[in-house]
Amino acid sequence: MRNSLKRISVLTGRNFKEIVRDPLSLVFTIAMPLMMELVFYFLFHTQTMQFEMRYLAPGIVVFSQAFLALFSGILISQDRESTFLTRLYVSKARSYEFIFGYALAMTPVVLGQTVLFFLVGGAIEPSLFSIGMLYSILLSLVTAAFYIGMGILIGTMCNEKAVGGVASIVIAGQSMLSGMWFPPESMNKGMLVVMRCLPFKNATDLLRYGFVSSDGVFQGFWLPLLVTLGYLIVTFATAILVFRSKMKAK
Amino acid sequence: MNAIEINALRKEYKDVVAVDDLSLTVREGEIFSLLGVNGAGKTTTIKMLAGLTLPTSGDALIFGHSIRTDADKIKGLLDISMQETAIARKLTVEENIDFYAALNGMSESEIAEAKAYCYRSLGLDKVANKRAAKLSGGWQRKLSIALALVTRPKLLFLDEPTLGLDVLARRDLWQVISSVKGNMTIILTTHYMEEAEALSDRIGIMSEGKLLFVGTKDELYAATQKQNVEEAFIEVVSGGRKHA
Repeated sequence: MRNSLKRISVLTGRNFKEIVRDPLSLVFTIAMPLMMELVFYFLFHTQTMQFEMRYLAPGIVVFSQAFLALFSGILISQDRESTFLTRLYVSKARSYEFIFGYALAMTPVVLGQTVLFFLVGGAIEPSLFSIGMLYSILLSLVTAAFYIGMGILIGTMCNEKAVGGVASIVIAGQSMLSGMWFPPESMNKGMLVVMRCLPFKNATDLLRYGFVSSDGVFQGFWLPLLVTLGYLIVTFATAILVFRSKMKAK
Repeated sequence: MNAIEINALRKEYKDVVAVDDLSLTVREGEIFSLLGVNGAGKTTTIKMLAGLTLPTSGDALIFGHSIRTDADKIKGLLDISMQETAIARKLTVEENIDFYAALNGMSESEIAEAKAYCYRSLGLDKVANKRAAKLSGGWQRKLSIALALVTRPKLLFLDEPTLGLDVLARRDLWQVISSVKGNMTIILTTHYMEEAEALSDRIGIMSEGKLLFVGTKDELYAATQKQNVEEAFIEVVSGGRKHA
């Protein structure tokens, strides 16, 4: 157990360095969403509730997390294609240790994103500084874990060129099916059911809940949490299984 | 003790037989060169022995442990330097060595010692603080080989280690390989016949998945009536005769 934790820690440290030394990943996960938070707030917050900071900031957090799927996927596919991972397979590290090594390396980025976007939001709309913000920061680890798991799965299954295309489906899903840019109530009922079954709207609702639960616009706290956790568990379990089978190529 | 005992090892990919019922024994501390033209089955053999690919049939024992049933026990006994350069590109040379050594459970003092050894033997101290991605192809290759040496495995697979190295770097690596002779069992694949000639205790020649010859240089010369490894290799492969 102790050796396993040490290997996870060593893998996490290496993966974290790889991520933060890629300037593009920081632009897409932090700089661009931050710019969008400011632009959309100042342009539209008086016109629609979607862009009031208590809705926009948590939406931006989840949107920025969708890019983690892209960058964790790219990192793994690069490791696979350069045969670096093959070399590591000879070590005593097990498949779940690799997966946790990739996932935990993203945690500081996740916390950085969440705290930054909420602080900026709170600076503009001080009512955000509440116990709800604390809940949302903690819950952001759950929603981020889902997107990181998706990235690990994509990176394990696809080559480097394909990762960009497949991960952009996840990013598009987060944009179109989360209800962050337009009120879901404006969609037809069938579409709303689809949105409630997929993880994107549930993840967004989960982070918004701490700020806007009194508005009564959401289906509650537990259902989005359970749906997001369900997707998270399935995604990670599948990623570990696929990764293990790739370690032992037939 | 035998480092490797291979018994009728076979690997099939759909309708292609990559390794055809290979049987071979390699003694502990030996440098064994596996020669063959492209597609002869050398890399597939190494991948099976290193636990990276499952054999279709047959088995091999690594220091007495089966590659089929004792994969976990084999890990930690061996290391591999692949044909392709396998390094963490955004880490510096020093960080690469630290990372790989720590992943393999080495202590701080062991890491420091191993790092000093890599710096001294391969000259990596000159580029220790450079990111791997910024190094020339030759330095990247040296780093990739250093990572395999750093864990001081009992069994080391070197799959075309000097591919892409200049003459001087190649000679440096020969010295390193010679210096660990006896302390480490090395399986070396190479297309450079002079390399096999200079380093090997024994040579195996593969063609189309089959092992056509196993023996010392002198035995190879005697079997083929040739005076150097290159000519003897051509004779064995083009003749397709089994000299073992």
